[in-house]
Amino acid sequence: MGELTTIGFKPGRSKIHRLDPRTKQLLVMVLGVTCLKAGSIFLAVTSVVLFWLVHLTGLSFFQFIKEIRYFLAFLFCIFLVRAFSFDGDSYPVIVGGNAREAALICWRLLLVVLMGVLLVFTTRTGDIRASLIWFLKPLPLVNERLAATMVGLVVRLLPLVLYQAKETGEAMRARGIEKRKNRLVRLTRFTITLFRRVFSRADELAESMQARCYNEHRTLPALAFKRDDLVAAGICVLLVSAAALF
Amino acid sequence: MRCSRLNNLVSVIETKGLCCRFSDGTRALDDVTLSFSEGEFTVVAGANGSGKTTLLRHFNGLLLPQSGSVSVCGTSVKDDPFAARRQVGMVFQDADSQIIGDTVYDDVAFGPENLRLNHDQIRQRVTSALHDVNLTGREDKSPHNLSGGEKRRLAIAGVLAMAPRVLVMDEPFSNLDYPATRSILEHLLKLHKAGHTIIITTHDLEKIIAHAGRLIIMENGRVVRDGEPEAMVVGIERYGIRPPCSIQYGQGIKPWVN
Repeated sequence: MGELTTIGFKPGRSKIHRLDPRTKQLLVMVLGVTCLKAGSIFLAVTSVVLFWLVHLTGLSFFQFIKEIRYFLAFLFCIFLVRAFSFDGDSYPVIVGGNAREAALICWRLLLVVLMGVLLVFTTRTGDIRASLIWFLKPLPLVNERLAATMVGLVVRLLPLVLYQAKETGEAMRARGIEKRKNRLVRLTRFTITLFRRVFSRADELAESMQARCYNEHRTLPALAFKRDDLVAAGICVLLVSAAALF
Repeated sequence: MRCSRLNNLVSVIETKGLCCRFSDGTRALDDVTLSFSEGEFTVVAGANGSGKTTLLRHFNGLLLPQSGSVSVCGTSVKDDPFAARRQVGMVFQDADSQIIGDTVYDDVAFGPENLRLNHDQIRQRVTSALHDVNLTGREDKSPHNLSGGEKRRLAIAGVLAMAPRVLVMDEPFSNLDYPATRSILEHLLKLHKAGHTIIITTHDLEKIIAHAGRLIIMENGRVVRDGEPEAMVVGIERYGIRPPCSIQYGQGIKPWVN
């Protein structure tokens, strides 16, 4: 259970760890939206900044790649679909303009995911929850505490689901599931077992929360904007302005 | 908080005619009437499926009585389960399923945060609870990276931080190696010495029996024996419980730790 996944909070003292969670969430939102519209220069600068931040936080780059390998495979599929064209031929051909556009799309999505991972890696689930409550509070007809709790639970449960998937896969391989030729049967067996286990874990988690008097109106972590938050916001404004100009 | 007084002992938990039936028709608890006094160290023993865990869950308000009653410090658990949870801290059998926080500190702080204490009080309670279970200095560690024994101690700290009057533990020694078992046992004895009321379920009496003041034996959802351990352990095999080695060798009850 120790090596649960990389995509989860890891305590640290880096600059990004110390930022207010509201600043981090705002930066992810603003930079994420800008990335989806921006050109290659902005993406290059943002990539450099993000990889520098990854280095600062101590997140292992190779571990990160390993954790998002399925997402990378998904991106590769997007690239293939967008880059190749039939254009009347019976076999697909790669088109220069399409390939460039496809690469840009994949680059943008990868950066958005990297920002999300950085946020989760450097922010406590409780802080993410408190910050969401702060953002959602002004919205009418939204139970901000309930919504934030839902998001917090997803962040909390996701690594457990991944861990459970790994355990289930190993247990099935130990009993020779690979010998079954039919992939659908393998997938069905795996999915049913995994879901049963995940629901049972979710039940246990809910019970242990209940046993410790869980309620929506709990003491929230103290949030405070500091000088570093101003600096981070300044860098973000510079990046977005650069995107608008170029 | 009002607690009933019987024979000069303050009763913290009382059950009267408690029954529980699962949806498949299994009778998990059958007419259980018990009373636990303040400061008591009780072991509830029984084979698998005898109803031990179901009984504990009623004390904490995780299960509500279908018939009969459970009261904690005079307040019906059915009427106010939240009050029962404040008074009765429960440590689950699987420590992993009890981990909620991202770090050791966050996990212990979860309970006090639910009690809406202020930040200073929360910090104070977490520091004190971690000190009580020898986990000081691990505040920033991921709970998932702790050893089995440390996780169990963390689960105890999470409950202690809520300052409950009663500590109920479901099979606290399961899946632990010898040093971890010793460590948990020593901590339990320390907590009892400090005045905590402790109720432990187990099917393995060996480690704990010498330190308990009362032994309750359950079978098929019923309390079949209740009294001082020395008297209760005689012929205990018939209920699917292995008697301690020292009893088998005719040496009476011997402590597992000194």
